[in-house]
Amino acid sequence: MGKVIVVTSGKGGVGKTTSTANLGTALALIGKTVVVIDADVGLRNLDVVMGLESRIVYTSMDVIENRCELSRALVKDKRVEGLMLLAASQKNNKDDIQPEQMKAICTELRATHDFVLVDSPAGIESGFRNAAAGAEEALVITTPDVSAIRDADRITGLLQHEGVEPINLVLNRLSPEMVRKGNMVSQSDVVGLLNLKLIGVVPEDREVIASTNRGIPLVHNKNSPGAQAYMRIAKRLTGQRIPIPELREKGFFSNILDWFSGNK
Amino acid sequence: MNLRRLFGRQPKSSSVARERLRLVISQDRFDVDEESMRRLQAELMQVLSKHFDFHVDEVRMSLKQRGNSYVLTADFPNVNANKQA
Ligand SMILES: Nc1ncnc2c1ncn2[C@@H]1O[C@H](COP(=O)(O)OP(=O)(O)OP(=O)(O)O)[C@@H](O)[C@H]1O
Ligand SMILES: [Mg+2]
Repeated sequence: MGKVIVVTSGKGGVGKTTSTANLGTALALIGKTVVVIDADVGLRNLDVVMGLESRIVYTSMDVIENRCELSRALVKDKRVEGLMLLAASQKNNKDDIQPEQMKAICTELRATHDFVLVDSPAGIESGFRNAAAGAEEALVITTPDVSAIRDADRITGLLQHEGVEPINLVLNRLSPEMVRKGNMVSQSDVVGLLNLKLIGVVPEDREVIASTNRGIPLVHNKNSPGAQAYMRIAKRLTGQRIPIPELREKGFFSNILDWFSGNK
Repeated sequence: MNLRRLFGRQPKSSSVARERLRLVISQDRFDVDEESMRRLQAELMQVLSKHFDFHVDEVRMSLKQRGNSYVLTADFPNVNANKQA
């Protein structure tokens, strides 16, 4: 019996879709069977971030309206064995799906897969409620800015109210340099403010944009700091105990090395 | 005199963010909106003004979380006994 985990945030644009694509890929790379579900009906994006947009034939709406079996609606990933995507319909809107219907899909999928990750839309309305309906656990994504942290706390309250447990925190786009200069709240500040267990910190990484441009999730680029952060989170999700270090700035020396290896 | 203030140094924006977040998150959790806080402050000032003189624009109120409970602080600096009382 697998786990259903909703990836959510409250505030938009903080990295839910990026995190779902990368954690799904990372879990599959370490041998787990994974389905990632795009629950952002009407504004789907997970397909393009994973580079699967040209392969989509059916969506969750087709499954709900009985036009297609669930197993046939799953799109196989191009690169990793054991990873599948269930796309969202672009022609419908968030209210066209009921929480019960999402729950039924999640229940069916968890019977045959190790992990089901649900990419939630922004907001606290019906789209979020649908995404969370079938989930027993949650990953709350936040960036280190005031409004994202505030909304993360709000969404945490709603998830707790629904009995979702555990709720783990992913701190995305942290810049150690800005923290040092006093222009960004730190990892320990965020943990102190939110009543959540931190499961990982993903640095600000320009490779994220390049990988989205190509439709190849960052974790395939094993040298990037963002990829390594996502791999560690995936391992923690499988129960491995890996300590979470405070992110450090790159030293002068590693910057020079990057420069010579064309990593800049 | 605080040296920092003398040289016009502002506090780091990260510590300002932390303090503001602490306040707004505890208000969100407590389910008290700014409007109710303002009303509460007005009512408190009304009651206290029967007994004390104070400067209206110096009054500060805050609601903060400490552990699992909340602390409501009302700061009325420079109060004087009210002559009429
Ligand atoms: N660690 C990172 N470093 C740099 N850029 C990032 C990082 N994480 C996300 N981004 C960028 O932030 C933007 C928003 O990311 P993403 O689409 O994953 O957010 P989202 O929470 O799913 O947004 P929405 O609420 O609209 O669904 C993207 O352009 C992405 O490339
Ligand atoms: Mg998204």
